[in-house]
Amino acid sequence: MKQTSIRDLLYETPGPAARKKIRVWTGVALAAIAALIALIVRQFAETGQLAERYWSFFAKATTWRFLGQGLLTTLEAALTGAAIAFALGFTLMRGKLRRNRILRGISTALIEFTRGVPTLLFIYFFFLVVPQMGWKLSAFWKITLPCAISACGVVAEALRAGVNAVPKGQTEAALSLGMTETRLFYRVVFPQAIRFVIPSLIAELVIVLKDTTFAYVVTCADLMQNAKVLISNYDAMLSVYLVVAVIYILINYLLNKLSDVLAVRLHSPAERSAAA
Amino acid sequence: MNMETPVIELRHVDKHFGLLHVLKDISLKVYRGEVVVILGPSGSGKSTLCRTVNRLETIDSGEILIDGEPMPAEGRKLASLRAKIGMVFQSFNLFAHMTILDNLTLAPVDVLRIGKKEARMEAMRLLERVGVADQARKVPAQLSGGQQQRAAIARALAMRPEAILFDEPTSALDPEMISEVLNVMTSLASDGMTMLIVTHEMNFARKVADRVIFMDDGMIVEESDPEAFFLHPQSERARDFLNAVHSH
Ligand SMILES: Nc1ncnc2c1ncn2[C@@H]1O[C@H](COP(=O)(O)OP(=O)(O)OP(=O)(O)O)[C@@H](O)[C@H]1O
Ligand SMILES: [Mg+2]
Repeated sequence: MKQTSIRDLLYETPGPAARKKIRVWTGVALAAIAALIALIVRQFAETGQLAERYWSFFAKATTWRFLGQGLLTTLEAALTGAAIAFALGFTLMRGKLRRNRILRGISTALIEFTRGVPTLLFIYFFFLVVPQMGWKLSAFWKITLPCAISACGVVAEALRAGVNAVPKGQTEAALSLGMTETRLFYRVVFPQAIRFVIPSLIAELVIVLKDTTFAYVVTCADLMQNAKVLISNYDAMLSVYLVVAVIYILINYLLNKLSDVLAVRLHSPAERSAAA
Repeated sequence: MNMETPVIELRHVDKHFGLLHVLKDISLKVYRGEVVVILGPSGSGKSTLCRTVNRLETIDSGEILIDGEPMPAEGRKLASLRAKIGMVFQSFNLFAHMTILDNLTLAPVDVLRIGKKEARMEAMRLLERVGVADQARKVPAQLSGGQQQRAAIARALAMRPEAILFDEPTSALDPEMISEVLNVMTSLASDGMTMLIVTHEMNFARKVADRVIFMDDGMIVEESDPEAFFLHPQSERARDFLNAVHSH
């Protein structure tokens, strides 16, 4: 079976005139990017940023090991944070879809609160206030928990949008077969809802990952924090930031690819069960 | 007078949608093995009536009894009474994320606690019966409308229901697929399944119905055997309805 992507659904296949136009604009864009890069490199050369001392330490294994450790911590914090955000978001979504007014009100308030407050404020809360309340947390949790809390409201709303997008007939069919509302939610509605919202969930994971760069506030040794150490050790700000930016871009690019792959896979259960 | 307990009984059921009075003092009995067809113009409340039977629509007043047991407003008891009454929808409503086979085994395993293996065997037997066994491992979107509706009938049958409700099961189908679904329903009827059917297929209604109920404006206007209804409708409204249908 041929896979149809979202792009196929949104745009018709370009004809010859459109293809020519696309080629021209691709050329223009590439030229512009090349010019920009040339400009940057020239600027670097003029200000001496290309000097060997700013780059030579990237030849050392220890540099990469150090960055690698930071990267590992970043990934760990992002994935743990995302998992917690998903659990909290799921709970809030369930709460908001309850008939019980009080539960619904509390969930709605928490969703709005976590969505409205900037991540950095949660981080300061965990950094400054939580220890004073006598709750001892490691640096890892001081960055992971606030990032998770900051994301959970968005996750809840994304999940709720997914649940609402599942046609009512699916629920009615399950009810008519004697399934209880809880069971049919987990067996019929949610498995379909999650397929609709995987792209938004991955997008939120990317945001959590980016939020973990605030780890320096709580001195958790993530990629960003280790980068700062390198910068002060070698007095090389620009080169280090450049390398670290590329690493972040690569990870987020891979996550987006993962999102595409998952979306396609989850949309063809027939093929999965045929393979099983 | 029939002394046995009806499978489905409605007693003085009333329902409003806001200010709209859609069901007006509806009383109705469907006995075991009976095929009752509900006819009536668009908007007369046929779907609503059908859906109140298993409480997909709530009612304002009156009583609904399944096998003599009153249908409660919520809870496990409601679910278990619903499980006794199958429902076939106009838009099929097969579970979109599951294979046809899984569609048929989900509720038997989950609700009736039948073993997975047994449920699968039963499912295949039913798919065979409605003629879509070769589609068992596909997902609903890969089937034609007629195949989907037959699979949906098989899904209802997999619960071993006491009765099945049909709400315009062929209205969403292309003409060439209508007969394959009606044939399945006819064979169910002749096997003695209790059925409450809303349909616009007059020939089919005339052929399978033991009893015809004519609704208009939220009321049961006429209730009679099919020959009497189609040949000698008693009310003005039924005559208008039949004339309108036949002039098509
Ligand atoms: N969920 C709803 N909310 C408000 N009004 C509704 C709702 N469902 C149905 N109605 C109204 O109730 C009346 C009866 O609707 P119903 O669907 O039962 O009619 P029907 O006899 O099945 O018609 P059709 O032959 O077109 O399917 C109609 O006037 C309809 O507009
Ligand atoms: Mg209807």
